[in-house]
Amino acid sequence: MTSLNRQRLILGVVVIITVIFLTPLVWMFITSLRPTQELFSYPMNIIPKELSLENYNYVFIKMTSFFRYFINSLVVTISTVVLVIVSSATGGYAFGVRKFKGQGLLFMGIILVLTVPYIMYLIPIYMMEDWMGLRNSWFGLILPYVALNLPWGLLIMRGAFSTIPDDIRDASIVDGCNEFQLWYRVMLPMTKPSLAATSIITFVFAWQEYLFASTLMSKNKWQTLPVGIVWLRDELQTLVYGRLGAMIVLAVIPVLVIFYVFRNFFIKGLREGMLKG
Amino acid sequence: MSQELKRKLWDKTKLFIFLLPTLVFIFGFIGFPIVFSGYLSFTSFNYAKDALPTFIGLQGYADMILHDSLFHTALLNQIKFAIPYFFITFFASLILAILINELKRWVTLFQTIYYMPMIISMSLVGITFSWIMNPNLGLFNRVLQLVGLGSLTRNWFGDPSTALYGLVIARSWKMMGFTLVVFLGGLASIPGDLREAARIDGANFWQEVVYVILPNLKPYLLIGGIWVLINSFKVFVLPQVVTEGGPGFATLTLYYYSWKLAFERLSMGAASQVAYITAFIILALAAVMNYFLSTSD
Repeated sequence: MTSLNRQRLILGVVVIITVIFLTPLVWMFITSLRPTQELFSYPMNIIPKELSLENYNYVFIKMTSFFRYFINSLVVTISTVVLVIVSSATGGYAFGVRKFKGQGLLFMGIILVLTVPYIMYLIPIYMMEDWMGLRNSWFGLILPYVALNLPWGLLIMRGAFSTIPDDIRDASIVDGCNEFQLWYRVMLPMTKPSLAATSIITFVFAWQEYLFASTLMSKNKWQTLPVGIVWLRDELQTLVYGRLGAMIVLAVIPVLVIFYVFRNFFIKGLREGMLKG
Repeated sequence: MSQELKRKLWDKTKLFIFLLPTLVFIFGFIGFPIVFSGYLSFTSFNYAKDALPTFIGLQGYADMILHDSLFHTALLNQIKFAIPYFFITFFASLILAILINELKRWVTLFQTIYYMPMIISMSLVGITFSWIMNPNLGLFNRVLQLVGLGSLTRNWFGDPSTALYGLVIARSWKMMGFTLVVFLGGLASIPGDLREAARIDGANFWQEVVYVILPNLKPYLLIGGIWVLINSFKVFVLPQVVTEGGPGFATLTLYYYSWKLAFERLSMGAASQVAYITAFIILALAAVMNYFLSTSD
């Protein structure tokens, strides 16, 4: 009985904290549904008097650059995911199954990279891309994004490959598999959950990245959502938070859906990556 | 013998093929840049004016650490940011994780809710908080007025005494989901018998936390703690998007200062020095933390 009461008390506390925690998200959503004149009413009504889709209409009809940003985000994110998958599926095999000289050292080096500030890479990458003409192009973002995500991918995929029993490897070789078939036909299908985790972690990273996108892409045409929306805010100058709210909601929906559908892979992947590292 | 050699060579080639994509990306976009910015940090190099970097050895570091007053401001701001950020993020997620774990049910639901801000771009979080903290039209001041604390209302991000701490709150809000997930994983791995035994011995909840839960959570506390520590120094997006380092230089962080040196003043040498000093501080603190948490028993 007391234990039941304690459960209720804890649940009550957690629910209150959670409601406060969710306020910023809910507030932005409500803001996106408020007509402009209501946003400027003072003092402000917390509970909206009327709701409208005018902000969404405005974004859909008038803000053509928003769609350009959306497409850029989509292309950059999906290409990054594909390249990270290919690289970590091959690299993870090499680190998880094969033995070679300098393996441990190389792997430690790759992981250490996760801890230092990205600006240490950004300065030379900016100069490199300037020189190679990669700034203001999709590739200019895709290539560094793949590199930044690969350490996570390798950590997860190495773990997945190293847990596959040696028997399976030996049996396949007896059956006449060559090494590439062993990797692609036998082992890769067994790592599917880890591949999914890697894809989602990479997707989430690329979809929200700001530092590289804001520095390497100086032209509106090539900008992605996280930076583009900030630019639109600066451009509009006045308080247009209703429209900004609508854009934020639209920008967050894809990643929220992906996260929600694959949340178990995602959290499992993060934990595995963390604990093995 | 030559058959054997051929086989070995082919074996090495196959390994190389598997490693090729990794090596290209890691060396091209991480290994080479990190070495190159290390070299740049020993030079004076204005990207717009100078054709080539001029090697100046440790002079740049000495000038930066001893004479650059903006560097001092940024370092001080960074410390003022990092301390509350670390404690808020670490303890809020730890306490919440312990409470949520007690519920047994809905653990996954709460975990998903608290993780949500982690997947939203920091820049959009920045816009959201600018709006909530807006002096006249924002929710926060309005709520303060409604509960009778109207005298506290102010322009939170426009006031040099509160701007930095406003950013701390926004960043902790966004990032705490990660440590929460790590801690919940650790809590789930503690065997129920252990806690049962403590309860039979008459331990109350608080004693259970101190004597059973926390000691068993140690590896997770270490991982979570190091992660929060590293992130308490990688602060760039919020100061840039919300306050532009201001008012004055009140929210200029080390990371943002390095970025400003590189991409506003184009002093790549000085920017690399700040970046390397920041990285050095991060690694030193992480090493100290690792030492204390993994040796103390």
